Amino acid sequence: MNGNKSGVNGAATLRKIIHVDMDAFFASVEQRDNPHLRGKPVAVGGSRERGVVAAASYEARKFGVRSAMPSSHAYRLCPHIIFVKPRFDAYKAVSRQIRKIFLEYTPLVEPLSLDEAYLDVTQPIIGPPSATLIAKEIKQRIREETGLTASAGISYNKFLAKVASDVQKPNGLTLVKPDEALAFISQLPVEKFYGIGKVTADKMHSLGIKTGADLRGWPEAKLVQLFGKSGRFYARLVQGIDERPVTPDRQRKSVGAENTFSQNLLQLEEMQAELDVIAGDVAERLHRLNQQGRTLTLKVKFSDFVQITRSLTLHQPIKEQEELHRLGCELLEGVDLEEKEVRLLGLTVSNLDLPDANGQLSIPF
Amino acid sequence: MKFIVSSSALLKQLSAISGVITSNPVVPILENFLFEINDGALKVTASDLQTSMITEMDVEARESGNIAVPARILMDTLKNLPEQPVTFSIDEETYTIEISSDNGRYKLSGENATDFPRTPEVNDPYGVDVPADTLQNAIANTLFAVSNDELRPAMTGVYIQLRDTNATFVATDGHRLIRYRRVDVAADMDNNIIIPKKALNLLRTTLPSGATPVTIEFNASNAFFKFNNIKMICRLIDERFPDYENVIPVDNNNKMVINRMELLSSLKRIAIYANKTTHQVRLKITGNQLQISAEDLDFSNEAMERLSCDHDGEDIEIGFNARFLIEMLNNLDSTDVQLNLSKPNRAGLLIPRDKDENEDILMLVMPVMLNNYV
Repeated sequence: MNGNKSGVNGAATLRKIIHVDMDAFFASVEQRDNPHLRGKPVAVGGSRERGVVAAASYEARKFGVRSAMPSSHAYRLCPHIIFVKPRFDAYKAVSRQIRKIFLEYTPLVEPLSLDEAYLDVTQPIIGPPSATLIAKEIKQRIREETGLTASAGISYNKFLAKVASDVQKPNGLTLVKPDEALAFISQLPVEKFYGIGKVTADKMHSLGIKTGADLRGWPEAKLVQLFGKSGRFYARLVQGIDERPVTPDRQRKSVGAENTFSQNLLQLEEMQAELDVIAGDVAERLHRLNQQGRTLTLKVKFSDFVQITRSLTLHQPIKEQEELHRLGCELLEGVDLEEKEVRLLGLTVSNLDLPDANGQLSIPF
Repeated sequence: MKFIVSSSALLKQLSAISGVITSNPVVPILENFLFEINDGALKVTASDLQTSMITEMDVEARESGNIAVPARILMDTLKNLPEQPVTFSIDEETYTIEISSDNGRYKLSGENATDFPRTPEVNDPYGVDVPADTLQNAIANTLFAVSNDELRPAMTGVYIQLRDTNATFVATDGHRLIRYRRVDVAADMDNNIIIPKKALNLLRTTLPSGATPVTIEFNASNAFFKFNNIKMICRLIDERFPDYENVIPVDNNNKMVINRMELLSSLKRIAIYANKTTHQVRLKITGNQLQISAEDLDFSNEAMERLSCDHDGEDIEIGFNARFLIEMLNNLDSTDVQLNLSKPNRAGLLIPRDKDENEDILMLVMPVMLNNYV
């Protein structure tokens, strides 16, 4: 069912993939639940000095406010912006609602986050016989059942569907047909490509690669030489080929928690005390997920934003706060803290007891 | 060199050891049996370098001598001869073998016996005697769970722990684990060895029935099994067996007791409707009722049955690979079995309710995560 060949040319069975993305999700939920916020620039996130914007309403975006932007910066851009504390329980509830809608159409739903998901509707369970009509219906139902709007992109692979959902926002619906794919990709700025972040994009710009058309002009071998294994992936994307299947139940690979301190830490005792709090958070999350793991990673970010990690792997899985704290402190002892100020500490447990592709769990030897 | 032997008696001995011979051995001479004649005794060896089997029988012979005889041709010839004395005449210069029977003469070419790899000898062995049926039981109860994963060699054999009060046989494939303990087998010195799967498979087919004593001897690198006139030598797996005691849960307080045959038959029916790759079945225990169900979304197949059980603990829903459960239940012979669970992602334990006072069987099985769509 998954992984059909999906190139533009000579494809046996074309898949039908929808990417659904909620519009300004956190901010829209806040505006829905609080009428005073409607029509106003709203940012969800911490307003304190070190806070970060988690989501911005469209009104705020007009001022240039973006997610992941420091709150202080957002204030400067838009002084009358209203900061709202995130309510993750409310977002999760909506996320469950929309996922339930998706699953009525296909079991092949791959959630990317609370507000985004891929759907493979090549063989839908119900619904009209066209992916576009299904996408329309899903948008309609999200609107009716949650009062929120979503944008959808439809195409024959994940890459194109995702880019398409971003073309018209909010409340958009964009279809990229197989015969339009190459032209669509040609005009696409490289930073919109899957897997191309700021660093790679900068590197490409310096080479004169600004759009899909530019990228297509480069031979695959050259791209591999420049960008490693990803080069091959880019070369395929630019030909409209992306065979990644829509995989339901994305596996959680690690469980962690971290804390950015309002004042940098100088004393080892302070750090140890903070690690205990973080260990408590991690232990609680592990408990909630009914998980345990054998690798513990400590993350330390210094005042100069230099970040280091230290990890250790054990024979037996761990999950308790005391153990996490003790081992976290051991890892911290291996870090050179001489004349350094610590801005952030984090602990992550990985190497979890994970099931294989069939869901079969293994004995944790 | 010449010797005379009964065709069926020889065939019987060869059949007992021929399982060692592989169809495409590393060294071509291993496609042969090694015949060694000494003072009227014929000793036959078959080997694949890892495992060797030896049998001895009396024959009529005046001289001594050795020869390697092609196993396939010899076995096929003997199988098709009516019972009668056959004469083997061997030319030790050309390695030609001539077999004469009442029916006629058969000529085949053998190989130089000195090219046949030497079988390891017992040096400073350490031994224990076990009745054949006990060993047979221990093998039958564990062998099915041995791993085929060459990347984890320790798990490709059965781990045997000899203690002064008991002997424990352990097998695991990483998804399930069987611990079979006997309190009527004991050794005066603690020892741990891993016997490869192939050797145990061969033992299973050649071990005599009943309480015939089997002597197990071993040193650091090899194990020797002796019973009747047969000897088996196998190289031990020189790896550290996983720390299995630590993964056996002790707090599986959710306990269900159910009739083994009822559960087994139900699982066999439900498994027909399960997904063909995952073989996933869902067990839902509510009060004293066990609901077993499975579905295969690809074919829109689904099935569900309800069984009554004795249940002590909270309601639980847990997924398992039906094939694992079926195989495990098949290997038990208790009327009732007990399934001890804790959480849907934690190991389950299957334990027979009634058992031989000398044996203690514990089967551990890891669940399959149920794909609960939000």
